[in-house]
Amino acid sequence: MKTTQMKTKVLTANRLTDGISVWLGANGEWTTSLRDAFLARHEDAVAAIEAAGHQALADNRVVDVNVIEIEETEGGPRPYRLRERIRADGPTIDYAPAAAARVSQAA
Amino acid sequence: MYRYDEFDHAFVEARVNQFSDQVARRLSGEISEDAFKPLRLMNGVYLQLHAYMLRVAIPYGTLNGRQMRKLAHIARTYDRGYGHFTTRQNIQYNWPALSDIPAILKELAEVEMHAIQTSGNCIRNVTADHFAGAAADEVADPRPYAEILRQWSSVHPEFSFLPRKFKIAVTGSERDRAAIQVHDIGLQLKKDEEGRLGFAVWIGGGQGRTPILAKKIRDFLPEADLLSYTTAIMRVYNLHGRRDNKYKARIKILVHETGVEQLSAEIEAEWAHLKDGELKLPDADIAAINTYFAPPALTPRAEGWGELAAWKKSDPGFAEWVGRNVAPHRHPDYAMVTISLKPIGGIPGDASADQMDAVARLAQEFAHDEIRVTHEQNLVLPHVALSDLEPLYRALLTDGLATANAGLITDIIACPGLDYCALANARSIPVAQEISNRFGDPKRQAEIGELKIKISGCINACGHHHVGHIGILGVEKKGAELYQISLGGSGDEYASIGQITGRGFEPGEITDAIETIVDTYLANRTDTDESFIECYRRIGADPFKAALYSSEAEAA
Amino acid sequence: MSVIWTQNGIVENDPWISGGEGADSPKLLPLAEALDHAQDNAPFGVVLQPADDVRALAPILERVAIVALTFPAFSDGRGFSQAMLLRERLGYKGELRAVGTVLLDQVPLMLRTGFDSFEVHHAPTIERLVERRLPGIDLHYQPSVDRTDTTTGYSWRRTAILNG
Repeated sequence: MKTTQMKTKVLTANRLTDGISVWLGANGEWTTSLRDAFLARHEDAVAAIEAAGHQALADNRVVDVNVIEIEETEGGPRPYRLRERIRADGPTIDYAPAAAARVSQAA
Repeated sequence: MYRYDEFDHAFVEARVNQFSDQVARRLSGEISEDAFKPLRLMNGVYLQLHAYMLRVAIPYGTLNGRQMRKLAHIARTYDRGYGHFTTRQNIQYNWPALSDIPAILKELAEVEMHAIQTSGNCIRNVTADHFAGAAADEVADPRPYAEILRQWSSVHPEFSFLPRKFKIAVTGSERDRAAIQVHDIGLQLKKDEEGRLGFAVWIGGGQGRTPILAKKIRDFLPEADLLSYTTAIMRVYNLHGRRDNKYKARIKILVHETGVEQLSAEIEAEWAHLKDGELKLPDADIAAINTYFAPPALTPRAEGWGELAAWKKSDPGFAEWVGRNVAPHRHPDYAMVTISLKPIGGIPGDASADQMDAVARLAQEFAHDEIRVTHEQNLVLPHVALSDLEPLYRALLTDGLATANAGLITDIIACPGLDYCALANARSIPVAQEISNRFGDPKRQAEIGELKIKISGCINACGHHHVGHIGILGVEKKGAELYQISLGGSGDEYASIGQITGRGFEPGEITDAIETIVDTYLANRTDTDESFIECYRRIGADPFKAALYSSEAEAA
Repeated sequence: MSVIWTQNGIVENDPWISGGEGADSPKLLPLAEALDHAQDNAPFGVVLQPADDVRALAPILERVAIVALTFPAFSDGRGFSQAMLLRERLGYKGELRAVGTVLLDQVPLMLRTGFDSFEVHHAPTIERLVERRLPGIDLHYQPSVDRTDTTTGYSWRRTAILNG
C-alpha cells in the first residue's frame, strides 16, 4: 500500500578521500555509477539506505549524504533534479583541454 | 613583484604542515566533517558536485612565469589538465583529491604561492588593478599596499571567524579597474594637497542577494594608517555584524542598518585608540615593500612604432587584435596586452595546462616575466614592447589565446554554475557559450562595441551579474532553469547596480532575449560612439522592456 | 566530560567550571548580575555572551576573579574581539577563559588574543592539548596581545614558540 505513490529513491554522497560522487549500490558498496545504485522502492528500503548513509558518514567514508528521487527509465535511473543529473553524468560542457583547443581560435 | 623572504617561506611551510595535519585528522576520522569544513574552507577547499575544488590565491592577480608553470603542472598532475581563473584573480581546480591537497600545497609553496584564506569567513585574497605598475593614469602602484594587507591579514587571530567573508580591493587611479565599490573595503590611492600618499576609504559594497554600492567613509587616510584603520573597521564589523542570518551578515548590511554616519563614527572612535599603536606603518617598511614592485627596466624600443604600423597594415587580424586587446603603457614604446580567456564558444576563464605553459613562456620571452589575472577572467602581460607585439600575437594564435574580444560582447564573465558548483541553481557556462557563438562574428562584435555581459548561476553573484551592463542570473523555478536579466549595471568608477527587466527566460530563450536587447541598443544609439551603457543611461529600461516583452503585452 | 586546560596543563578541581552546582563554589555571573554583585565581598567571576559589551565591565574589573567569554558556535568569532578589548583596552590582567565550542585549531588564535584558560569537551582535542601538540604557527604577521618577539623584518611581524 505504502509503495504505490512513492517515488523511487537512491542514496548519494561524495567520497571523503577524493570527493567523487558516489551512490550506494545493491551490494552495500558505494559505486561511481548511478546505474549501479540500489533502488529504494518502499519506505522500509528508504529507511535502510538512510541508515546506511548515517553510518557511512559516521564512519568517515563519505560526506554530503543525501537521499534523492529518481525516475526509473529504460536507460536506467534518472534523477528528477537537474543538479542530480549533472552529478550523475558530469558537467554538461566539454571541459577537458582537448575540447578547449578545438573551440579556441582567434576571432 | 614581491618575493618571499625567510619569514614568508617559513610561515607558508608551517601553514602547509598545519593544514596537512588537519587533513590527516579528517582522513583518520579524528574530526568530523562539521569540524573540518571551516578548516578546509579557510584553506580554499570546497566540496562541489563532482569532487573537491581547490582555490589557489594569486595575490592581487600578479604572478610570474615560474608560478604559472607550477599552476600548469598542478593541473596536469593532480587535476584534469586545466584550471579556471576567477573574478577574484584566483585560480580554481575542479577535481583534486583531498588526500592530494597537502602535496599540491607543498608544490605551491616552492613557488611562493598558497591557498590561505581563499574561502571562509575571513579576509580573502586582496585584489588590485590588473594594470598596476604599468597604467599611465596611476597615482601609485596599489600592489605594495595590497601586499601589506595580505601579510597582515594572514591567519589573523582576531579576524578569522568573522560574520561572513570579507573582500578588500585597492586601486591606484581614479579609473577604477578593481571594482572597489562592490567590495567590503575599497581603497583608492590618492594624494592630498601636500602631495602625501593615502587612500579614500569606501566600505559596505557587495553583491550577492542584496547588492549595495560602497559608501565613502574617509576622503583621505594617510598611508601609514592603513593597518590601524583597517583593524578598526574589522573590529567594529566583527563585534556588530549580524550573525543570525548569513544573507545579512556582510558589512554592507551593517552599514545599511546602522547608517553610514553612525558606523563611521564608531570606526573612528575605535581607530582613535589604535592609530598611534603598533600598527602604524613606518616609512621604511612601506618603502621596502614598494621596492619589490619597482617597474622593470624598460629600455627604449622606438623602432616598434614603425614596425607596428607596418604589421597592422599587412595583417587585418593582427590589427584587430591590437585594437581590442592592447592598451597604452606609461612607457610610449611599450603596451599592456590582454590575453583573452574567452575563445568564441569556450568556457570563460578556463585555461589548459598547455596554455598556461605557453603564457609562462611568452611572459618570460616578451614581457619581463610578469603576468596578471584580471577580475574579468582574462590574463594580462603588462610590459610588452610594441616591437614584440607581432611575434607575441603569432605565438598566442598557435595556442588559441589570440581572441580579439577584450571588452566586447563575447568577453563574458561567468561563474562555474551548476556544471560544477554545489551552491548553483542553474548553469552559467552553456549560456555564456551560446551567447558567445551567437555574437562570435568579429564584425558584428566590433559593431556592437563595448558591452559587458556577466552571468551568475545563483544569487551569490560570483559572476558579478549585478554590475554587468547586461546581467544574467540563473534561478531554479519549478525544478527548471530560468534566467533573469538585469540591465545597466557597472563595476567601474561610475558603479551602478543593474535593474531586473521583468520575468525570466527559459534556457532556450535567453540568447534570443540578449539579441533583442542588443538590437534595441543598436536601433536607439545616437551613433557608433555611444556605448551600450551610455545609451541605456540615456534612454532607460523601457525601450528594452518593450522589446523583450512586447508580444506578451499584446497577448494580454 | 569537560576539562579546564591552561598552558600549565589540566587544572584539577577548578572552582569556576561552568555549570558546577556546588553550593560553596564561587559563581560565574552573567554581565548584569556581575554589575550588581560588585557591591558584595565574595569573589566572583563573569561569564559574557558574544553580544555583551565588555567595556561595561570597566568599573568593576579589578574585583573580577575570572572572565569567561562564550563561543556558542565555533563560527561566532566575537569572543576574539571581546578578548582583545579586555586585554588591550581595559588592561585586564586576570584569568580569561574560553567556554562553549572551543575547537583545537582555534586555541592558538585564542592564546594570541589573550585567553589563558579553556573549557574543552572533545576527547581528541584534550589529548592534543595535554601532549602540547597545538596546531599553530610560530610566525605571525600581526602584533597581538600575546607575548611575542619582534623580528628583524617588517614592523607588523612577530614570532613566538607555541609548543615550547
